[in-house]
Amino acid sequence: MSSTIPPSGSGELVSLELRNIVQEYPMPAGESAGSKSDRIRVVDDVSVKFDRPGIVMLLGPSGCGKSTLLRMMGGVRPMGVKTPTSGEVFIDGVLSTEAHDDVVMVFQRYANRPDLSARDNIAFPFRLKLWRRKVSREDAKARVDAMIESVGLGAHADLRPAQLSGGQNQRVALARALVLRPRILLMDEPFGALDAQTREEMQRLLSDLYRSQPCLIVFVTHDVTEALVLGDRVIVLSGQPARIADDFEISEPRPRSSAWQRSSETQALEERILATLHGAGGSRGQVRVTV
Amino acid sequence: MTIVWNPYEPITPRARRTLGAASVLVVLVAWAIVSALSLVAKAKLPSPVDVLSAFLRLAWDAQQGESLLFTATIWSVARVAAAGLLVVVIGVPLGVLMGASPRINAALSPLVDPFRSAPIVAVLPILVMWLGIGEGMKVTFLFLGAVVYLVPMVRDALQAVPSTYWIGAHDLGATPWEAVRHAVLPIAMPRIADAIIVAISVMWTYITVAEYVNAQEGLGQLIQNARRFSAMDQVFVGIFVIIALALVTYGTMTAMKKRLFPWELT
Ligand SMILES: Nc1ncnc2c1ncn2[C@@H]1O[C@H](COP(=O)(O)OP(=O)(O)O)[C@@H](O)[C@H]1O
Ligand SMILES: [Mg+2]
Repeated sequence: MSSTIPPSGSGELVSLELRNIVQEYPMPAGESAGSKSDRIRVVDDVSVKFDRPGIVMLLGPSGCGKSTLLRMMGGVRPMGVKTPTSGEVFIDGVLSTEAHDDVVMVFQRYANRPDLSARDNIAFPFRLKLWRRKVSREDAKARVDAMIESVGLGAHADLRPAQLSGGQNQRVALARALVLRPRILLMDEPFGALDAQTREEMQRLLSDLYRSQPCLIVFVTHDVTEALVLGDRVIVLSGQPARIADDFEISEPRPRSSAWQRSSETQALEERILATLHGAGGSRGQVRVTV
Repeated sequence: MTIVWNPYEPITPRARRTLGAASVLVVLVAWAIVSALSLVAKAKLPSPVDVLSAFLRLAWDAQQGESLLFTATIWSVARVAAAGLLVVVIGVPLGVLMGASPRINAALSPLVDPFRSAPIVAVLPILVMWLGIGEGMKVTFLFLGAVVYLVPMVRDALQAVPSTYWIGAHDLGATPWEAVRHAVLPIAMPRIADAIIVAISVMWTYITVAEYVNAQEGLGQLIQNARRFSAMDQVFVGIFVIIALALVTYGTMTAMKKRLFPWELT
């Protein structure tokens, strides 16, 4: 490693900015009858800047436009809809309109290849020209081996997705993203489909992984507790159309003890978030509070 | 109360075989009785024993020192194999292109989809006019009969793969072709294999039609010839052999599919 050029994933140089983002979608068939517009505004003038490594939680009721925003940051465009309707995304100060090499996404549906072992799924990106060019074969193998251990899949590396639990599959998906040492990791409700205990394990794993490989993580959730347990910064989005309703930092180091979670300071934050969501007319969607 | 009807009831392989064998046996016995009582003229319905002895005669003709059945089978198998190879080599890539590109699909599906319900047998005289009565015509006929099933099924196999795989690969920097090649195609493979199995099976139902024209060799010719001489027992032999070949082909290909794609979708 050179000391002058920060290696990828060291998280020293990173900037992601949304400027005046507006997103409108065509109204679903049937619902436009009687209304004056056939378009529905999902995101309304969102501007925000992330300029250092850390875990940013994007919290909002389901259906409020979180995935829409996250996909925009990742340069993943839905077919047939102009995204964003207006506004710009900048990565490292450069206008971004396409999938970016330094930005990797992890979805709730983990999209592991059913025919490949956990190991081969984690090594999947190295089948692509882009990553074969950037990472040598030996380096790729070393990264995959190390990552299998980091996510605790050592004993399961040769099993296929159908033979793994939901949590283990999500470990595979997380590992596949992190072997690329992205400077920006975008996570869309990655633990949303897991049971409470597995979700907590995965939250712990993510904060461990973050400590050994810091980067900018933008993490979408509709779970208030998850936001408070993981976030260095929490951005609260109002219900449709999504606007930034609150934005605050949490300085408590991770892992955050259950004592901290029960502290009056944390309770106050939770109250504040719920009040913001309800005050912003957020009753259209639901947020979850797990204990 | 006991449940008498349960669609999800597991059945042991032994019970399945016994039930299957029993119903085949019932039909055989009924057949034997009908022909023993001469309820139907012998020229129309030979007895099981007649068919068996015809089978033995065809399997080995001691006077001529040859096996008509074996020769005919080889010819038919070779034609199905040649047409099968063509169907896979041409049909699978075509289906993949259509499944991977809505534009190519829009352009080609009017040329492919209607032929699934086209009277392919009625096309035969046209093929004879264009291609003559030789092997080219026979293999082309089998190819056309099967490829119209294969291509849409392969296309549907690709379209059935959830878009999350494509999006995920695209996000990791895959080119569109890489996303298809590494994220969509592998997941579609079991259904593509099913499509190939169906297409090859369809060929066994068309083989006799192909071989009726200019009947010189093959199981179709054997049946045609036997019919001309009113040898119903030999007609039955030909039909049973084709059914047996179709079953063996199906069983072999299904076993291969299970070995090649032992995984399941999550
Ligand atoms: N491609 C699309 N076309 C039309 N409407 C969409 C599309 N994607 C999302 N929407 C709508 O936009 C709203 C926000 O969706 P989404 O960003 O997925 O919300 P969240 O992730 O917060 O649950 C929803 O009402 C959804 O139905
Ligand atoms: Mg979402």
